[in-house]
Amino acid sequence: MTLFPRAFRAALVGAAATAMISPAYADPAAETFVAAILEEANAIFSDTDAASRDIAVETLVDKYVDMERVAKFALGQYVRQATPDQMAVYLPLFRRYATNVYQSTLETYSGQKLAVTDSIGRNERDFIVNSKVVSAETGDRYANLVVSWRVYRKPDGAQTIVDAGAEGVWLAIEQQSQFKSVIANNGGGSKGIDALIADLSTKVGG
Amino acid sequence: MTKFSTSVHALCLVAIFFVAGAAYAQEEPAADPSAPEVEAAGSVETDPWEGFNRQVFGFNDLVDDYFFVPAAKTYRATTPKAGRRGIRRFLSNLGSPSVFVNDLLQGEIGRAGKTLSRFAINSTIGAGGFADPAGKMGIDGHSEDFGQTLAVWGVSSGPYLVLPLLGPSSPRDAFGSIAEIGLAPLTYVRTPPANYARLSLAGANLLSARENVLDPLAEIEANSLDYYSSFRSFYTQARAREIRNGVADYDALPTFDEFEDIE
Repeated sequence: MTLFPRAFRAALVGAAATAMISPAYADPAAETFVAAILEEANAIFSDTDAASRDIAVETLVDKYVDMERVAKFALGQYVRQATPDQMAVYLPLFRRYATNVYQSTLETYSGQKLAVTDSIGRNERDFIVNSKVVSAETGDRYANLVVSWRVYRKPDGAQTIVDAGAEGVWLAIEQQSQFKSVIANNGGGSKGIDALIADLSTKVGG
Repeated sequence: MTKFSTSVHALCLVAIFFVAGAAYAQEEPAADPSAPEVEAAGSVETDPWEGFNRQVFGFNDLVDDYFFVPAAKTYRATTPKAGRRGIRRFLSNLGSPSVFVNDLLQGEIGRAGKTLSRFAINSTIGAGGFADPAGKMGIDGHSEDFGQTLAVWGVSSGPYLVLPLLGPSSPRDAFGSIAEIGLAPLTYVRTPPANYARLSLAGANLLSARENVLDPLAEIEANSLDYYSSFRSFYTQARAREIRNGVADYDALPTFDEFEDIE
């Protein structure tokens, strides 16, 4: 009998907390930035030719994703152990690898459109902009899927994308988990980074 | 993945291998001090049982390649898409009493109400659960299991644990799965039809769940340098979000702005 009032109170507190989190830190500039990218992306999703889609996605990624920042993030703590020579080899390989991942992930979208729903600022440089799949077709498995974009604002005000996720599962976080695992399982440090570079090179066929 | 938890016989394996896993971990307590930290949105976890987990993951992958994937592909090739969607809905409807109980145990009265309404609507005018008129009315479904309830009660997951045949889990979630067998009424009915129903249900859940993720999992494997850690990260992130009932924990995300000094 006592469960209900207690649970009800918990639900109220939860609802209040949720209401406090979402609208307070919305950032219109980050939302506008992502909305403009999505407009370009939506045009790409309606293209049915795989080859021309891949080229368009690559152009979009080069234009908006801060690939160097993501590449360094993906190394985790090992970024401080990488030599300049290793970084010179690693950065272009990472760009190719991450672009391939974006291409194959976006291949499954066709005809869907993404629209910005809301945003959350973690601090003055770091924002999450959420978008939703709005689809005309009923029964589409991607209908209402939430796709999130991590926006990084540089000190000069320029904005870039540093991560993308679906339903709370983020790509760069997964890449970091993988890369750290590969480095650690191959002796760590400089040796491990060499192993990662070799694996990446094999993966992208370089 | 939560569909797997209804498989009674497979869950007996959970108990066996969980004990085996714990024993393995005790034999080699110093597992690997340099074991990489798993940074998931929501938590920083370690994988001290990585050696054991990788072996089980390798075994599961083999069984998957030779048994579950071909079975799921056959199922896909021989059934219409709408039929498979009906089956998924039917199985999910059968699981909703368990979801309802866990909603209540978590104090989520609103979500419990939704689960109950869905069960009532879909079991009747939804042709026994094969259709989803409740969803069309705007009452969307959600997952719950006893592992999530324990998480809401403050039980921490413990290390990442890969279970034979069942896949990714944790000591907490494995315990939750065992407790759920005890809570399922069918567990206590030992007649031939009940045994048959139990087994068919377990098989149908596995097949339907595997078919539904054929493409995403193939893509993850194709894109990864290290399928094990890739899978671990995707699973850990998705599970954390599932436990929070889909509410994102933005504060727990790692930062991208620590590289200014080395640019």
